[in-house]
Amino acid sequence: MSEAASTSGPGVSVEIDDIQSGALHARPSPYVGRFFLLRIDDRHAGRAMLGRMLPATEGGLPTVNPDQGAWVTVALTFQGLRALGVPQESLDSFPPEFQQGMAARAEHLGDTGESDPAQWEKPFGTPDVHMGIVALAPDAERLQKALEHERAALQETPGVEIIWQQEVHQLPGGRTSFGFRDGISHPGIEGVGSGTNPHEAPLKAGEFILGYPDETGNLPPMPQPEVLGRNGTYLAVRKLHTKVAAWRQYLRSNSSSPEEEGLLGAKMVGRWPSGAPLTLSPDHDDEALGADPHRNNAFGYKENDDRGLKCPAGAHIRRINPRDATIVGATRLHRIIRRGTSYGPPLPEGVLEDDGADRGLIGVFIGAHLDRQFEFIKSEWVEDGNFIGFSGEKDPVAGHHDGTGTMTVPAKPVRRRLQNLPSFVVTRGGEYCFLPSLSALRWLSELKG
Amino acid sequence: MTTEQETPQSTQPKRPGRTDGVMTEFTVFTKIKPEEADALREDLAAMSSQGDARQAMEQIGTLHSARHVMFDNGTRHMFASVFDGSWDSYIDDFAKTAVGERFERVFRHTEGFPGIKDPNVKDWFAAQQQTAGVFATAYPDLTVQQVWKDQRVNQAFQEVLDTPEFRAALDNPANAALLATPAFQKLLNEAQG
Repeated sequence: MSEAASTSGPGVSVEIDDIQSGALHARPSPYVGRFFLLRIDDRHAGRAMLGRMLPATEGGLPTVNPDQGAWVTVALTFQGLRALGVPQESLDSFPPEFQQGMAARAEHLGDTGESDPAQWEKPFGTPDVHMGIVALAPDAERLQKALEHERAALQETPGVEIIWQQEVHQLPGGRTSFGFRDGISHPGIEGVGSGTNPHEAPLKAGEFILGYPDETGNLPPMPQPEVLGRNGTYLAVRKLHTKVAAWRQYLRSNSSSPEEEGLLGAKMVGRWPSGAPLTLSPDHDDEALGADPHRNNAFGYKENDDRGLKCPAGAHIRRINPRDATIVGATRLHRIIRRGTSYGPPLPEGVLEDDGADRGLIGVFIGAHLDRQFEFIKSEWVEDGNFIGFSGEKDPVAGHHDGTGTMTVPAKPVRRRLQNLPSFVVTRGGEYCFLPSLSALRWLSELKG
Repeated sequence: MTTEQETPQSTQPKRPGRTDGVMTEFTVFTKIKPEEADALREDLAAMSSQGDARQAMEQIGTLHSARHVMFDNGTRHMFASVFDGSWDSYIDDFAKTAVGERFERVFRHTEGFPGIKDPNVKDWFAAQQQTAGVFATAYPDLTVQQVWKDQRVNQAFQEVLDTPEFRAALDNPANAALLATPAFQKLLNEAQG
């Protein structure tokens, strides 16, 4: 790590070249990718595998045009760190929720009922998941090239085995399976790069990378030794199945015209299908606004929509990032980097019956504090509504409802209340991973004993 | 009995504290630093202005009630409070508000307090915490946010009842269908007194 490679922000110099590109790099658009979960049967093999992966694992500035490159990210679960033979003292220095793993946190996270870890796709939630590898690229050719190294490293390393994989790809029109443009909002980070919302001041680097001061003025709790923790971060990885037919049926049966149906979906999401935010275009979709990266995320709520008459406080995008809206608590302590990638075929347009296909997204949520970022957002903002004054209401899109969910849609003269919301998203699996720095990967690959 | 220990932990994955409905009690006992009892007493007196306390509670939005009590001849201190959800989910948020300053002002006089902005402050509070043997509330389903909303709605409702135009509307046959609905009958039932 040379001095010259550091980038400077107010009062902080981030060692960007030591941070895996996958941590801060925006998703390309279009994209193809592949997620792998691996089991390490022998710690020496695991270390050798990491060593062989190192040349293919890049660090560096996320401001490079994301549509140009392809990159591979290597992450480890707590069980994976154990399988590599990381010293006990060091294992003990990881935060408790990471040690427990996502499945053990299910009740707190609202992963119950059909999202209960007992129903998860194997090997999610089992002690077999040790390593995660993610490869993302703008096209299949560059993805294959990026994966060549991994393939070779695996062939040379018996004792490390792929136990699950998932192909992801952008759906036509750059939309999610529900039909909405995603990947729009990214926070700005001091010393790293600006975000997509010019009204939000960049967040302290320590919100996203270990080893730097965070929004509380402290250094995030960091696993030891320093070479292992510094410039690392955490990923919450989730496989989320989307019930697209149920979503379309709900919209159809709760509206009386295609226009109303479109508005209802937008009120639940907070954006129109094009990505245009309701706050800026409350009455109709605006394709040009949705496609304009300089405008489609340039807004707050407080000045013009604190009551939520345009974008309901309970809408998905307003819950998971309330921006400057009046809420219980401090938004800046609960920001996160979201990287959603779609899997499975789209449900053809107009189809209202479930075709039985598995489709949805692999969601990756990145931050230096699993507890007050991912876990807080999921438990307080997605699975409850007290923070916006609607106790007991959940995120109408991402919340786990049991068919009796409600959502208040503010309106004049009288609010509308959606009733009998079912779940449109089911958790099929998830893992907490540590995303080590390049120095930490080297340190892990050189462990002795 | 092990169940006494396990019940709160199974419903509260993070920290101890007994729950009733949406609320959790949070009670902390600390030792006051030698020679600082008078200073704490003065700080509590200065903080006892209802206006400031209310402002702080408005900022939090999840705190039902709180009290600071000095006891054992000024050697010990109790902080007893009732929160919506679990107190520790929002502790980092509190530190950023006027509440953080109030906590700092009190607990700086107690032994071992690391400071409200210290990353280990949650663990410190948890270590001083005693879980209640009994905790019951008269309105277990209502969060602070809902209590405030209910109060605003009732005040507005009472003002509507005071308007002669509302009385006239009740007598207007054009509104008969509305008046006959069970929902409106419930409202009228509350309007009777």
